[in-house]
Amino acid sequence: MADITHRGNPVHTIGELPAVGNTAPDFRLTDANLNDVSLADFRGKKKLLNIFPSIDTPTCALSTRKFNEYATKHPNAVILMVSADLPFAQQHFCSVENTHNVKTLSMMRDRHFAKDYGVLLLDGLYQGITARAIVVIDENDKVVYTELVPEIRQEPNYDQALAALK
Amino acid sequence: MANVLFKGTPAHTSGELPKVGSKAPDFKLTAGDLSEVSLANFKGKKKLLSIAHSLDTGTCADATKRFNDFAKNHPDVVVLVVTADLPFAQSRFCTGEGLKNVVTLSMMRDRHFAKDYGVLLTDSPIAGLCARSTLVLDENDKVLYTQLGPEITVEPDYDKAFAALK
Repeated sequence: MADITHRGNPVHTIGELPAVGNTAPDFRLTDANLNDVSLADFRGKKKLLNIFPSIDTPTCALSTRKFNEYATKHPNAVILMVSADLPFAQQHFCSVENTHNVKTLSMMRDRHFAKDYGVLLLDGLYQGITARAIVVIDENDKVVYTELVPEIRQEPNYDQALAALK
Repeated sequence: MANVLFKGTPAHTSGELPKVGSKAPDFKLTAGDLSEVSLANFKGKKKLLSIAHSLDTGTCADATKRFNDFAKNHPDVVVLVVTADLPFAQSRFCTGEGLKNVVTLSMMRDRHFAKDYGVLLTDSPIAGLCARSTLVLDENDKVLYTQLGPEITVEPDYDKAFAALK
C-alpha cells in the first residue's frame, strides 16, 4: 500500500508498483476495437505504460498529448495509455485530439490490472480507479523504470520516463 | 442468466432482472460530482432506471436524450441513467448534449450494481459492461416494470416504460 495525495488529501493504493528489475505482471486489457490485449502482445519491444485515472480529466489529457508527441517522432516506441475509462471515451478523446500514435487500453472488464500493478485507489474521490503512474518495461518484460506520481493532479516526470524508454 | 444479442451475436447476462412486484435491490453508485448515491436518495419518488453499456455509443446516447425529454415534462419522476462510463465521460456527454434533466450514475467503483440487477454481461465484445435494460420503480422502490433489451444496439420500448410511470 502506498500513500499519495489527491488535491492535497491523503489517499491509498492497494499495493506497490512492480519493482525495478522484476518481470512485469502480465495483463489483460481492452483496446479501442474491444479486443483483449496482453503484455505478451508487445514482446520484443520496449513499452511505456502511462497509467492514469481518466482521459476525460485535464492532467491525463495533457500527458496523453505529450506522449503522443513523442510517439509521433519515434514510430517504434510502444506507448500504452491505461485507464478505467471505457474504450468509447478513450476513442472519443483520441479522435477529437488526434492522438493516434499512442495506444489506449481500458480496464472495462475488471480491475485485475489495477490490483496486479498496485495502482487501484482504495479511498478518496477516485476510489475504484487508478493512481497516476509510469512503468517502463524492456524487451523481455523486465521493469526498468517506475514512477508513482505523489499528487494525482501533477504530471509525471516525462524526461526520466522517456529516457528509460530509449 | 439471460440471453441477449450484441450486434446479432449471442451474449449472456450474469443473472435476471429484479422481478415485477419485488422490492428493487439497493445500490451504491457514483454521481457526476463523485459523491455516492443509493436508491434511498430518491425515496418517495417514482424512478426510471435506464441501464446501458456506454453513453459514448449511438443507441445509449439516443435513449438518454429521449429520457431527458420525458424527465423535463415529468418533474415528479427521477430518471437515472446507469452505465460503467466514468462520471467524467457522463458529464462530458450531458454537457455537450445540453441534458440537464437526467441523473447519470457510474459504476466506477465496482460492478455490484450490475450483478445485483442481473445485467452484467459475461461475454461478447462488451463483457464487463451492462446489457440494455429499463426498470420502473414506484415511490416505495417496488418494481413496476422491467425490460431487458433483446438486442443491445436497439433502443428500449419507450411507450411501455412511460405507461408504467403513469
